[in-house]
Amino acid sequence: MTDLLANLALGFSVAAAPYNIAFCLLGALVGTLVGVLPGIGTVATVAMLLPITFGLPPVGALIMLAGIYYGAQYGGSTTSILVNIPGEATSVVTCLDGHQMARKGRAGAALSIAALGSFFAGCVATVLVAALGAPLTSLALLFGPAEYFALMVLGLIFAVVLAKGSVLKAVAMIVLGLLLSMVGSDLETGAGRMTFDIAELSDGIGFTNVAMGLFGFAEIIRNLEMSAESREVVNAKISGLMPTRQDLVDSSGAIARGTILGSILGILPGGGAIVASFAAYTFEKRISKNPELFGHGAIQGVAAPEAANNAAAQTSFIPLLTLGIPPNAVMALMVGAMTIHGIVPGPQVMIKQPELFWGMIASMWLGNLMLVIINLPLVGVWVSLLRVPYRLLFPSIIVFCCIGIYSINNSPTDVLIAAVFGLVGYWLVKHDFEPAPLVLAFVLGPLMEENLRRAMLIARGDATVFLTRPISAGLILVATVLLIVAMLPMISKKRETVFVE
Amino acid sequence: MAEGAKSSTGGGFQLKIRGPRDFFGGLALVAVAAIALWASSNLPGQQGFAFGPGTAPRIFAGLLMAIGVVVAASGLFVKGPPLERFALRGPAYVLVGILVFAATIRGIRFELASIPIHVPAFGMVASTFMAFMISIFGSTEFRWVESLIAAVAMTAFCVVLFVYLLGLPFQLWPMF
Repeated sequence: MTDLLANLALGFSVAAAPYNIAFCLLGALVGTLVGVLPGIGTVATVAMLLPITFGLPPVGALIMLAGIYYGAQYGGSTTSILVNIPGEATSVVTCLDGHQMARKGRAGAALSIAALGSFFAGCVATVLVAALGAPLTSLALLFGPAEYFALMVLGLIFAVVLAKGSVLKAVAMIVLGLLLSMVGSDLETGAGRMTFDIAELSDGIGFTNVAMGLFGFAEIIRNLEMSAESREVVNAKISGLMPTRQDLVDSSGAIARGTILGSILGILPGGGAIVASFAAYTFEKRISKNPELFGHGAIQGVAAPEAANNAAAQTSFIPLLTLGIPPNAVMALMVGAMTIHGIVPGPQVMIKQPELFWGMIASMWLGNLMLVIINLPLVGVWVSLLRVPYRLLFPSIIVFCCIGIYSINNSPTDVLIAAVFGLVGYWLVKHDFEPAPLVLAFVLGPLMEENLRRAMLIARGDATVFLTRPISAGLILVATVLLIVAMLPMISKKRETVFVE
Repeated sequence: MAEGAKSSTGGGFQLKIRGPRDFFGGLALVAVAAIALWASSNLPGQQGFAFGPGTAPRIFAGLLMAIGVVVAASGLFVKGPPLERFALRGPAYVLVGILVFAATIRGIRFELASIPIHVPAFGMVASTFMAFMISIFGSTEFRWVESLIAAVAMTAFCVVLFVYLLGLPFQLWPMF
């Protein structure tokens, strides 16, 4: 306990440095700014803004990225409530009751409850991350290559199970992502693999190029197909920003339950935040005395998923910081950013760079605080941003992405690669393939291959090593069971209805 | 899935594409896997206990091919939604906009059918402006005046942000 306090104190001393607070504030601000734009989800926002953090010192960059992440998420909720366009899957449920509240002129209450609920969830989850960080790190030190490989398999299977639509197609995306990650020089021998003798590919395909293409460009091309009316903003006036006492009483229980549910689900690899918000909404509806109010502007229906969503977003840092394994696409982007700063995510971070580890945890709490501080007064600004017509918005996003990609390596080829992935992403969506598992696999690919090769070498070519070592066997068993359950058609039908709701 | 296959093959089996999204999606996966197999065919494989550089790509390409076959097959047996129409205007203008940016930001030299082509370095201001003005045609709701104003504003914003605030070493003006 004293350790925990001492560590948190160290963290706050880092995060509270004036320039780090400034980075955090700036991150939350631009994150919200971009996240508010309709049709741009959290992943796209983080991918787009990644390049602007590269010039900062490592701690500052990661703190700013964490701020961007929370900002993007909160921005997404704002869009859901005001415009009924969910930026991404996690805010779909917020649309249900949030937008109904907005139509009844209670947008202000919905927005502030969403912010307060997120803040409360953020506080709890920050403590949880700090408390679980140390024990999980010592667990990670017991892991050998076989265990790491098995854990990553489990993580990818989670991503498959939680993806919308066909399980088989999600597996296909995973395998495609792994394959794409192998383009470039071989880890051990340096031999160029699948590079087609193109010099620019010998370093591999850049992660940001893939992410920007699949999420940024593809998203825009797709949005262009929609008619103007479907993107229209409701011109509801926002009055009465503060929630009433009754609102607070009504939503406090929902916030607490959402926080607990979200914290648990967020730790699971594979996209906990999405499941968390759905689960929290369904749970609230189930236990509510007046379930008929849900879908017609029940404040609990905003509070619970928002709290769950934010708690899960926060606890999803746990597997990243302790095991070095990103549990979802946003965390995968974080790995990309850390790698560019020369930090290898994993248990060593906490031991070797405690100020980075604890500084980041403390900055999560600060980031949440910033959101409450900047968002409540700035709601009017975000609303006016929503009135910018899409026909002017999308070229701006395109050139911003182009410059962002170019700035990473001063390489025009990177821009071309992103353009190619933009077309690929558009095609994938048209054929009901989901890009998120692909990106996760793309990031995990090199780590997975390295551990697979190492494990096989240590076991002298005996593939059963993954089943004879107890931890690894357990992880593989869980992964197999999950996959089988997801493959059962009855369950998969049920899964679809959960996401359709 | 098995149920769907049975019910659709109820009376006289006919091979037709029932789920075109799955069918063509699966075929594309097979094609990608085939390219990957071909591209990694020259890499040395397993040597003793050690994986060679070619082992893992071949394993995963093989796996992808198998999955692609199953996905395509499921497109034959399971009824699925029809193919969505691919828009041409949006992707085309956006793509050209991005390509122009990539070609002009630093300038490139290449040979197309042994004719040397040289695109000079236009620098960030011109490239950003051009990319904006080309990609904006991707929307059907285009209007000249507001587009030009927005293009100038966005170019100015990017220059201030990337060059002055973030201090990135970009060449701003054309250099021929």
